[in-house]
This record gives sequence, structure tokens and C-alpha cells, in this order.
Amino acid sequence: MNELHPLTQAIIAGKRKEVPDLVAQCLAAGESASAIVEHRLVPGMAIIGEKFKLNEIFVPEMLIAARAMKEALKVLEPLLAAAGVKPEHIVVIGTVEGDLHDIGKNLVAMMWKGANLGVIDLGVNVPPARFVEAIREHQPELVGLSTLLTTTMPAMRDTVKAIRDAGLSVKIVVGGAPITREFAREIGADSYAPDAGSAVDMAVALLQGKA
Amino acid sequence: MNPAGSLKVRLPTGEVFALPIHPDERSLAGMLSAAGLSLNTRCGQRGLCRGCEVELIEGSLTVDGATVAAPAIVKACQARRDGHGTIRIPARSRVEHRPQVGETFAIGIPYAHQPLFTPVPGGRDTGFAVDIGTTTVVVLCVDLVTGAILSRAGGFNEQIRFGDNVITRIEAAAKPENLAAMQRAIVHETIRPLLLQAAERAGRALERFAGGAVAGNTTMLHLLVGEDPTSLGSAPFTPRFLSGRQVLAGELQLIVDGLSPEIPLQLLPGIAGYIGADIAAGVIATGMAYDEVPSLLVDIGTNGEILLQSNGQLSACATAAGPAFEGGGLRCGTRAVEGAVSELRLGLNPFGLELKTVGDVPAGRAGGICGSAYLDFLAMGRSSGLLSSKGRFEPAAWEQVPEPYRHQEDRERALRLPAGRPGGLTISEVDVALLLQAKAAIGAGIETLLETAGIRAADLGRVYLAGGFGMHLNLGHAIACGLLPGLRREQIRVVGNTALAGALLALVDRTTLEEMATLQARVEIIELNLVPGFEDCFIEHLSLP
Ligand code: B12
Repeated sequence: MNELHPLTQAIIAGKRKEVPDLVAQCLAAGESASAIVEHRLVPGMAIIGEKFKLNEIFVPEMLIAARAMKEALKVLEPLLAAAGVKPEHIVVIGTVEGDLHDIGKNLVAMMWKGANLGVIDLGVNVPPARFVEAIREHQPELVGLSTLLTTTMPAMRDTVKAIRDAGLSVKIVVGGAPITREFAREIGADSYAPDAGSAVDMAVALLQGKA
Repeated sequence: MNPAGSLKVRLPTGEVFALPIHPDERSLAGMLSAAGLSLNTRCGQRGLCRGCEVELIEGSLTVDGATVAAPAIVKACQARRDGHGTIRIPARSRVEHRPQVGETFAIGIPYAHQPLFTPVPGGRDTGFAVDIGTTTVVVLCVDLVTGAILSRAGGFNEQIRFGDNVITRIEAAAKPENLAAMQRAIVHETIRPLLLQAAERAGRALERFAGGAVAGNTTMLHLLVGEDPTSLGSAPFTPRFLSGRQVLAGELQLIVDGLSPEIPLQLLPGIAGYIGADIAAGVIATGMAYDEVPSLLVDIGTNGEILLQSNGQLSACATAAGPAFEGGGLRCGTRAVEGAVSELRLGLNPFGLELKTVGDVPAGRAGGICGSAYLDFLAMGRSSGLLSSKGRFEPAAWEQVPEPYRHQEDRERALRLPAGRPGGLTISEVDVALLLQAKAAIGAGIETLLETAGIRAADLGRVYLAGGFGMHLNLGHAIACGLLPGLRREQIRVVGNTALAGALLALVDRTTLEEMATLQARVEIIELNLVPGFEDCFIEHLSLP
């Protein structure tokens, strides 16, 4: 296997302070923003996901790596937008109404970005109607719902129902500490992932299953 | 014979009974709890701990969609009825009814003697102070003429069977019958027997009671008076009331022979949904509101509360540590019950491991590990070099740990303590990761609150550490692992159950009640979710310094 690129290494090790310089170096060397994402960031997050699955790293390290990747995207996202690069797959994510927790949701969003998905993050405390509206607007293939409170699990159910009632064909995945596979099935979601590592595998599988 | 099959339960006494069918009870643990046999479902029935294991001695159960046949050990929270079966509940899986009740406290201010209820010598001359904790409840019996504490009684909050934290109780309260049942659980099944006990210990007839003062978090006070707490369960977390209500014993159905139904119970006023009357009580009882130096009140619990005073300005935040420090969700975690490993000393070079248990129970019979020992492990694991800053075992150091102390399962490494069940008690890397989240929530909460007010930890004149956990932890270790970041031991005063102290104060000096009532308008609430830097700060704090 090739020696990993320094930027990829910095992402994996979560050295966010080094990231902006390394991105600048890549750009100076003539790499395009989308090439940097694809060849430098995506492999890093793939390794993070793999290590997580093997129990080699846990959530804290994953959060630290995701934060380093966020630094890189801060520089790259405006460039991608300016170049008119459209991601192949669009996904929408948000925390359901009544809940303000978002660290887990942000991590899933970052891991999805790390798998080169175009992520539209609606933030926290998102009412069902706002999800429906965003799905209509952005036409994603996948929507992710997050909640950390057992008391807002009914809001998750309502959101799934609102999306279905609106006749939108988008796949719905749910997650968050109190969510179980059983609950996901019960409320009619298409899938569930217990953590950000499997959230990536699951999203990729769902998107490919569709293709 | 019913179609769903029969499930029998054999108790430690040898008694066998058939478990009634509950159509809406999902898990075996749920069915058992409905039958009055609450198990130790401390991880919230998520299958993460071994607290609710039962033995399947005959027949079968469904676990995770698959049939498991006897003999087997299953987690009751993950098991469902499946035809016929008989289970046995080992004693260790029952909820332990011997709480360590936080009865000790310090009152930091001088106070006057102006009882809330004017005593009638020879008549109603006695009052009571109550602290309703989510887990434990304490009642003090007080002489209103002298202000002296006559007796104490403490026990579990019987609402525990509806859930062990405020959120699960709020959720349960969504059903009106549960709301009524929880009110009955606190009034009739908890406060009433404690009051009887305290009165008896004090040698006071119930006819002599003139009234009581009650502290508790906002949810507990809602449930006490039967108010629906649903709005506290989701943003914006608005309570139905915060003001210091007075209710009559009769209105609450606090019915005790001899006790007049006309006597009032004074609820202490709260500050916000998650900064309750228990904290308001603490602010006044510690005297921090009057400190001339900047000071901080920290109450470490499942829901941590932090309140800062600087130049008379008050600000506060709620931070949600979760149940890890009470052992929740951890492989061998337990509350600080008798027999729990409560202290740990670890050295690497040469390797040394010493343990202490609550009640000095021999280590061989230790039932689990409690928060204070986990905190010792975080601090000493790090200082000895066994743990990396990320909370993982350092490979080289790991090799130095003698074989019998090492445990590895599915790539997950754990330190094995020579204690408890065969195979020992373990502290795994996954446990450490959960503990780090809990300590990060508190540590980052403290840091964010200080930063918002522009105060450095070093500038704090005093830090009041309230709550039961605060009384039993090793301060040096709490500082070293970043739970109390940037503080020095000399700054910290361990003040115990300040909620109870505040209820007592209000009872004997009613002017303090007025002070508490001013707090709601005076305290600026910092919503951590809305502070942009909090997430970063939380992630920083996931590391060990
Ligand atoms: C950090 C935290 C907070 C922070 C939130 C900051 C933020 N911006 O999110 C603060 C301190 C503000 C907070 C507040 C509250 N919190 Co809080 N909080 C936590 C804590 C400590 C960690 C949660 C976390 O971020 N974990 C790290 C992330 C990475 O993990 P995660 O969220 O589980 O996400 C992973 C998976 O679930 C999954 N996932 C998540 N979302 C999604 C979505 C999809 C689509 C998929 C596929 C997967 C997925 O992947 C993620 C990565 O692996 C937990 C306790 C704990 N130790 O877990 C309590 C906890 C969640 N909080 C809780 C509560 C009750 C609250 C409060 C409502 C009340 C309080 N004071 O305690 C308040 C809200 C007050 C208010 N006014 O808003 C409770 C919930 C209890 C329950 N049964 O519902 C917990 C469990 C603590 C407890 N008391 O027991 N909290």
C-alpha cells in the first residue's frame, strides 16, 4: 500500500491545526478541490470508518478526525461551489423537532461528506414540515433523522409520517442514542444505524441499491 | 393455557409464580417490572450492561429475534416471551434497595430564626424538610421552636420503577394514569413512610406537625403536585411552573394518621426547567450568592448543573453527563451501593492495584464498580501512562500489565480487577469512552460558562461541589482527569446535599425563601446547545489532560 498523503494522515490523526496549510499545499500543487476531496479526504474518512468498525478507535477519536476534516471543507466547499461541482448523491440530515442535540448528527453528516455525498444539514429542532419542504427543494435520495432524547422519538415518528404522507420517495434513515432497529421498523423508516461508521456503509448500500 | 405460552419466575426464595401477560409490555424486564419485580436495568434497557441478567432454566425465550433455549443466561431487557419457559432471577439483578442517601450537608450562611410556620408551643411545633431527588429522597424532622434537626429518614424515590432519570419519567407521564401513579409513588409510597419514620425517630406525634418545605428539581416538583411535565421533555423545555407554590397535605393525598390535611407544604422556587429549586436552594444555602469573590456551584449528577456568581451577577447552565458516573451503561458499573468498588489505586512501574469497597466488603464479593473508582482509574490510568490522552491503553504500557489483570474480548481491551464475580470485574476501553463523554459534558459545561462570563478558573475564590457524587470522589483525581478543569483543590468545598440544606433553611428562616424566589429573575441561563463554541469545547474535553 502506498504511503498515505500527509493531508490524509492529518485527517486521520485529527491534527486540525495542520489541515489548512496542507490543503493550501495541495491547491498550490494544482490539485482541484474535488480531487482533494476524492483522493485526500475520502480515503482518510474511509480508514477512520474502518478502524471504528474494528474497535481500533471510538467516538472521541472519530469526532476529532471529523473536526479536522471540517477544517479542510471550510476551505474546499466554497471552491467546489464556485466550480459548480455537483455531488453525485444528495442527502439531507437534521435533528427532529424538540431536540437541540447535534454532535452525533454533525458527525454522521461529516462522515457522509467523507464518503463524497452532498450533505444538506437542516440543523436542530427541525419541524416535520421543514423536512418535507427541504426534500421537495433539494430532491435528495436519502434523508437522515437524528434524536438523542427519548421524549422526541414521537417527533421522529411524526416526521417519517409527514414525509410519507407527502408522497416523497426518499429513503429515510434514523439514528441517535435511544433509537433501536425495532423502533426504526415500527415507525416505517427504511433503515437505522447505531453509529456514524455504520451510517456510512448503510447510506452507501441504500444509494447503490437504488442505482 | 393461553396462546402466548406461559412464563414462570422462580424467586431466590424458591417460590415460583406465573408472569401475567401484558400485551403492551415489550421486554421480559418490562413484564417483570410490571409484576413488581424491578430489575437493575441501569443502562436504560439498552442491553449494554449485565445488570438485568436472568437465568433461563427451562423452556425458551426470544432474544434479538432468535430463540434461545435453556439453560442460558439472558439479559431480561433484550428478551421476549417465546412459548414456555421458567426463569430464575439472581439476587444481584434485583434493584438494590439500600441507597446511600445524601443526608450530609453544610449550611454556609448564618441564618435567623423566623420559621416558615409559626410554632405553637404545646401544639403544632414541628416541621419537616424534604429533598426529592430523582433517585433518593430525604426527610428531616425539625423543631420549629429551636430550629434543631430532630431526626432524618432517607430512601429510594419509588418513582424509579417508571424510569431512573428525569427524561424517562417525563416520558412515562405522557400517560395520565402514570402521572397519577407517579404522584402516588412519591407522596404515598415514598414521603409518607419516610415522614412516619422521621417522626417516630424524633418522638413527635404527627399531630404536632405544622408544615414542610420541599426541594427538588423542576420535574420532581411537577410530579409531586401532579402537574404534567411533558413540556420539560423537549425544546424549549418550558416548565408549567417554577414559583414556590404552597399545597396542602390533603390536596396531595398525603394522608397520615394524626397529620392534619390542612397543613401546608411549601415548594421551593426554581430557576429554569433544568436549573431547579434544588439548585436555587444550593445557591442560598452555600451562601455563594453573597460571596465577595467569584464562585461556582457544581452539582454532578445525571443532569449536571453549574452556576456562576461574579460580582453578584449570576449565570447558569445545565449539562447532561448521563448516567455513567452512577455506573449506567458501563460493563461492571453500579451505584455506590454496599459492596461496590469505590476506590482504586493503580501504579504501573512496578504494577500495583489496590481496591476499596463501600462498607469494606471483601473484594471477592464486590458487586460492581462505582463512579468514584472509575474516576480514580481515569486519573491514575493517565498519570501512570497506562492510558493515552484518547483514553486507550498505550501498547507498551499494556504489555507491562501482568497477564491476570489483562482481559481482551473482541479487540476490546480491559483491565481486570481481582474482585467480584468469577473472571473479575473489568474496566474496558469502551467504558472509558463512555466515561470520557460524561466528564466532557461537565468539564466543557464549566469551561463554557466561565468563558461566557470572562472568568478564569484560577480566579474563582470558591467552588462548591454539591451532590452525593461530589462527596465521595477524590478531588485530586476529579481535577486531574478534567472533570473540574483548571481548578485547584484549595478552591473546592464539598458541600453535600445543598438541596436539603436549602429546604431546611427555608423552613427555619422564611426570609431565605424570599431570596430563593428572586433568583429566577437574577440568573442568566446559558443554553449550551446554542453556544457556538460548546461543541468544540466538548470534543476537546473528550481527551484526558
Ligand atoms: C453532549 C450532551 C449534551 C450537550 C449537547 C450539545 C450539542 N450541541 O449537541 C448539552 C450539554 C447542551 C446537552 C443538553 C441536554 N441534554 Co444532553 N447529552 C449530551 C451527552 C453527554 C452526549 C451526547 C453526544 O453528543 N454524544 C456523542 C455523539 C457522537 O454520539 P450520539 O449523539 O449518540 O451520536 C451517534 C449515534 O447515536 C449515531 N447517530 C446520531 N444521530 C444519527 C442520525 C442518523 C441518521 C444516523 C444514521 C445515526 C445517528 O451516530 C453518532 C455517531 O456515532 C449525552 C449523554 C451521553 N453520555 O451520551 C446527554 C443526553 C443525550 N442528554 C440528555 C438530556 C436529557 C439533555 C437535556 C434535555 C437536559 C439536561 N440538562 O440534561 C439538555 C437540553 C437542555 C437544553 N436547554 O437544550 C439525556 C437524554 C436522556 C433521555 N433518556 O432521553 C442524555 C442521555 C444524558 C442524560 N441525562 O441521561 N446535552
